[in-house]
Amino acid sequence: MQNNTQEFFLISPDETIYLIFDKFLKQKGSLVQFNEGKPAIDRILQTPPAMIILDIKIEDISYLEMIKLIKGENVYLQIPLILCLDKEIPKEIENMSVFDLDIDDFILRPINPKEAKIRLELTACKASKFLDANPLTKLPGNTTIIQKIQKLLDAKRDFALGYVDLDFFKSYNDKYGFSRGDEVLMMTARIIVNTVKEECGAEGFVGHVGGDDYVFIVPVNKAEDVCKKIIKNFDAIIPYFYDPTDKERGYIISKNRQGKIEKFPLMAISIGVVFNINGRLKHYGEASQIAVNLKKIAKKSQKSTYIIDRRRNE
Amino acid sequence: MEDLRTKRKGKILAVKDLPTLPPVLDEITKMIEDEHCTPKQIAEVIAKDQVLSAKVLKMVNSPVYGFPRRITTIQHAIVLLGFNVIRGIIISTSVFDVMSQAMVGLWEHSLGCATISKIIAEELGLKDPEEFAVAGLLHDIGKVVIAIQLPEEKEEIQKLVAKEDITYLEAEKKVLGFGHDRVNSWLADHWNLPLPTKVALTYHHNPESAEFYEKFAKIVHVADFITKVLEIGNSGDELLNTLSKKDFVDIGLSFKKLAKIMDRVLEDIIEVLTFIPK
Repeated sequence: MQNNTQEFFLISPDETIYLIFDKFLKQKGSLVQFNEGKPAIDRILQTPPAMIILDIKIEDISYLEMIKLIKGENVYLQIPLILCLDKEIPKEIENMSVFDLDIDDFILRPINPKEAKIRLELTACKASKFLDANPLTKLPGNTTIIQKIQKLLDAKRDFALGYVDLDFFKSYNDKYGFSRGDEVLMMTARIIVNTVKEECGAEGFVGHVGGDDYVFIVPVNKAEDVCKKIIKNFDAIIPYFYDPTDKERGYIISKNRQGKIEKFPLMAISIGVVFNINGRLKHYGEASQIAVNLKKIAKKSQKSTYIIDRRRNE
Repeated sequence: MEDLRTKRKGKILAVKDLPTLPPVLDEITKMIEDEHCTPKQIAEVIAKDQVLSAKVLKMVNSPVYGFPRRITTIQHAIVLLGFNVIRGIIISTSVFDVMSQAMVGLWEHSLGCATISKIIAEELGLKDPEEFAVAGLLHDIGKVVIAIQLPEEKEEIQKLVAKEDITYLEAEKKVLGFGHDRVNSWLADHWNLPLPTKVALTYHHNPESAEFYEKFAKIVHVADFITKVLEIGNSGDELLNTLSKKDFVDIGLSFKKLAKIMDRVLEDIIEVLTFIPK
């Protein structure tokens, strides 16, 4: 989407801002203005733009709610969002931490065109450096995952760390090809993200290690429900990613690692969970090692399975 | 003629705001805020509104999510979209009640057809009867979109139906050069709906033309007929199309099974129709 068909959304009732931005965005793509928030949401969800410039002056919906909606979804959070404020910063933002206000940059009215141009370019540039994210699912990648876990360990916080992977993904990929495999990976990411979000809200975290390996972090008391729900949803939806004949008979015929033809069941999901309670674990490596080993045990079953290590202190 | 057709097609596919019924929106908004509500419960409510169902399926099957044309049921769509996005869809859905103003009774007709399609699928022992319910619910979505995007032509169609004593589909073809079945097919492609759903939407008037997934088209065809016989809602037709014995036999319906289906339909339809807000 790096060509000149890209769209920039300006969500603001203010005509003068449009004229300023339209001037220098013309070479890069097209600027679409929405006077209100609700129609913009509809468009953003369906055809995500290259950038969003959001004015706090929209009236039909709270701008904070809009930011939350967009930045809370793995498929949309990479869209850079610039907030347009008045010199007088609104109270609700003043008391907020920058981290909670999930925006990429802001500009102040009256807008200085030269400054606005630089800020826009900078924001676009920063967004393209969003390198750690998994290129397919846009979920945080290894660097972020390791930092997140180590931070929790250092703070001696209780948490549950889950490692997730798919059984028989390789044979599916071999038979149906990579792009169909990617569909399954996107679907799995959505199931994990939505389940963790619905069960734990902002307390949860989901990362994508790569391939068919994912990680989640949730409060200890939610871990089992999260596992059960992920499995239930995955098992219900995965048959739809097979062709009708394979779905009907419940297995596929593909080559095994030795190149021999073999029957493979439909994909299942395996989860290994380790608890960190009372600062039992010290290092990221230790935590991930245990979770990965548990996941390997869960994988021995052909059906979707989870295994939880509830040990407290040894 | 070809130019006019292309122009009209463009206008139809430009449809952005599908109308929906306010009570459904309120109900779902409340459900999403309730922590104990499950995707299944929310799906049951969304499935009662053809416009909202179309929007949800269109969204989950869009390339943005990375698995176009895979998801056929509302419940799976909700699991994959999540409550946050569902809320986004709901607050951005404009609430103007074109359907009950412009096409009185079409919503009830669609809901009836959805219920009956599902019952038939269940009685035939088919997997995933919900998929058939969705197909039944959306089978006349093209009429809604025509009413929104081409309101003058829609008036003309209605007048023609009354004056010449022809079916709604025939009148559409006379006025527009194509029927709502064509429109359904464009919309299904435009919204990336799964193939079985598209086939049902496109061929519910002539299921024998479907190349594959013809069971979907046939069941909705029969359900559409039963809905009209029972006069549930109003599809815009005064005339009843004919249904041959073959239509029944082809999907594996015996008279015994049909009798059982009709019993269940009469039982369920009362419950379904009491949902209609007035």
